[in-house]
Amino acid sequence: MTAAPNIIAGTPPTRCGLGFDRIALLAAPGLSFLALFYAIPLALLLFQSLRGPEGGFGIANYVSFFSEPFNIGVLMRTLRVALLTTLLSLIIAYPTAIAMNRARGVWLTVFLVAMVLPMSLGVVVKAFAWSILFRANGALNQIMQAIGLTDGPVRMLFTETALVIGAANVFLPFMVLPIYAVLQQQKASLADAAASLGAGPFFRFFHVALPLTLPGIVAGAAFVFSLSVSMYVIPSLIVGETQQNLPMLIARSFLYLRNEELGSTISAILLIIAIAVVLGSTWLAARLGAKE
Amino acid sequence: MQMQSVQTPQSNARLADGATSPGDARYLEVSMVRKSFHGVTVMEGMNFHMARGELVSLLGPSGCGKTTLLRVIAGLMSADSGDMVLGPRNITRVPAHKRNISVVFQNYALFPHLTVAENVAFGLKARGDTAGMPTRVAEALALVRMNAFADKAVTGLSGGQQQRVAVARALVVQPDLLLLDEPFSALDRKLRETMQVELKSLLRDRGITAIFVTHDQEEALGVSDRIAVMNGGKIEQFADPSTLYARPKTPFVMDFVGLSLRLSGRVIEHRAASSVIETAQGQIVAPVELPVGSMAVVGVRPELVSAVATSEDAAGTGRNRIQPVLEDAMVLGSKTILHGRAGEGDRVICELSGIRSGFVRGQTVTLDWAVEDTLAYEVAG
Repeated sequence: MTAAPNIIAGTPPTRCGLGFDRIALLAAPGLSFLALFYAIPLALLLFQSLRGPEGGFGIANYVSFFSEPFNIGVLMRTLRVALLTTLLSLIIAYPTAIAMNRARGVWLTVFLVAMVLPMSLGVVVKAFAWSILFRANGALNQIMQAIGLTDGPVRMLFTETALVIGAANVFLPFMVLPIYAVLQQQKASLADAAASLGAGPFFRFFHVALPLTLPGIVAGAAFVFSLSVSMYVIPSLIVGETQQNLPMLIARSFLYLRNEELGSTISAILLIIAIAVVLGSTWLAARLGAKE
Repeated sequence: MQMQSVQTPQSNARLADGATSPGDARYLEVSMVRKSFHGVTVMEGMNFHMARGELVSLLGPSGCGKTTLLRVIAGLMSADSGDMVLGPRNITRVPAHKRNISVVFQNYALFPHLTVAENVAFGLKARGDTAGMPTRVAEALALVRMNAFADKAVTGLSGGQQQRVAVARALVVQPDLLLLDEPFSALDRKLRETMQVELKSLLRDRGITAIFVTHDQEEALGVSDRIAVMNGGKIEQFADPSTLYARPKTPFVMDFVGLSLRLSGRVIEHRAASSVIETAQGQIVAPVELPVGSMAVVGVRPELVSAVATSEDAAGTGRNRIQPVLEDAMVLGSKTILHGRAGEGDRVICELSGIRSGFVRGQTVTLDWAVEDTLAYEVAG
């Protein structure tokens, strides 16, 4: 073989005596950065959550967290909102990704800008904009009353529905883009092949398009779910203190209650949820892609 | 090149077994089909028909409209206007999935999330035709000698194996028509030739009506009962391989199907149902009547040209004779090809059988061929 060495991918790994690939050293800055500013502080936080009130180690903090019905309620609300946000963004994102995959030229640019531009606008600005839309004398209420859908103003601000809509809005690109990426890799001839074999639109969708986009759906769902369980600004601005979620409880523990043990315990629980989502989705993606 | 005996669709051996209805000669009929993309017309007034059990190739360079025609017939693209009838059914407005026309694609288009057997079973499941499915899938895989791979993932298969699975998948549903869109062009030459032979006998044995799209003239000549040579969205000639090769109707067909010695010139006179054309290599007599004064292209198939020792004038011998300077002699084992020096747009080529030595670059050779083998066409000045 006289293949020219590829500068980016490297020549086939030149291994030193211990089977160490020198190219792997390129990962060193990133790994040290992660270790210094992610792993170490997080380990300290976990360490703190396992410390008893009178010194010593134990799961006392976790026991007290889970014995408080209020905390369970917050945990459940956090998971429920995250799940609903994930579902809503999936329902909106899937057809969007399909349309984007078909789009060419100017339309594709419009789609991509529409995906990226809102991300550059701060969440705070968006949240205040929604409050104009959602409030009692807001635009949405006025429209609903005008077309006779409702008699009086409906309370929308400070509700879970508003929160889910707002969160799905912010996180939509994280669902659209992975699905779009998977669609981009699909050969257009697969749909043609399915049609010529006698498969109608529904059969084609459920037996070809959907199974082949599942890895993208799993990745997008993992992103949106993780972002939703850990969101702080959006619920603070839309629903406020009345309906707290885990991150709000963490902030409260650290900032107002000065209860660092409680704060780090909830942080650890949040971390466990995030790890579960990452591991679960990785496993699922690997299983789905097994035949690839 | 292996030549096939002349076969008209009516004399086709496969037809004799199954043909009962008079409609079988026009089993597929495409009439006045028009197709344009973004205002650019790629096909207009397309007429095309074929008999039941026939294997027809659409042959042409890329952009000639052959794939468009195939996709329109399959229903993967809709025609702007025109009519298509398959057997007793008018399929013009029938959606692709209800046409019962299977397609084999160039890139195989196997479903990557399904096994080999699941890919083959796809069409049966989609139609809800699942009675005896495992047996039928196994039989289809046996046809293409892929039964040992039934439970394998398709992504691990070689190109040839993938295309075999695609053929099995297309045939298991018993299509009324099979369309193959450059099915072997991604395979290497040896494998391609093996697959061509296999496919041809498979389709013949089962009496399957098929359209084969290709840009490879040898593939078309070797595989098909008849070939439609396409150029610029039109069929230039639709004939069996031997007619197409021996009597191409247009200079395009002469150039696209097989090689030829080719000279351009001007018609200078008529002689008893033939014309004399003045070319850079001298006067050539062709057995066709062309208007005196018009520009013309003359040609002859290289294996009909011989290298002779005599340099006498061929007048009155019923042969054409030219004396080019030898550019190159390529000894290819089974044949030796002589290339003569020729002007812009001309080609002087002669194919001799076996190994011929003694030709030296730069020498003058005398090439001759029968007047009756000479092809000639009037071309625009």
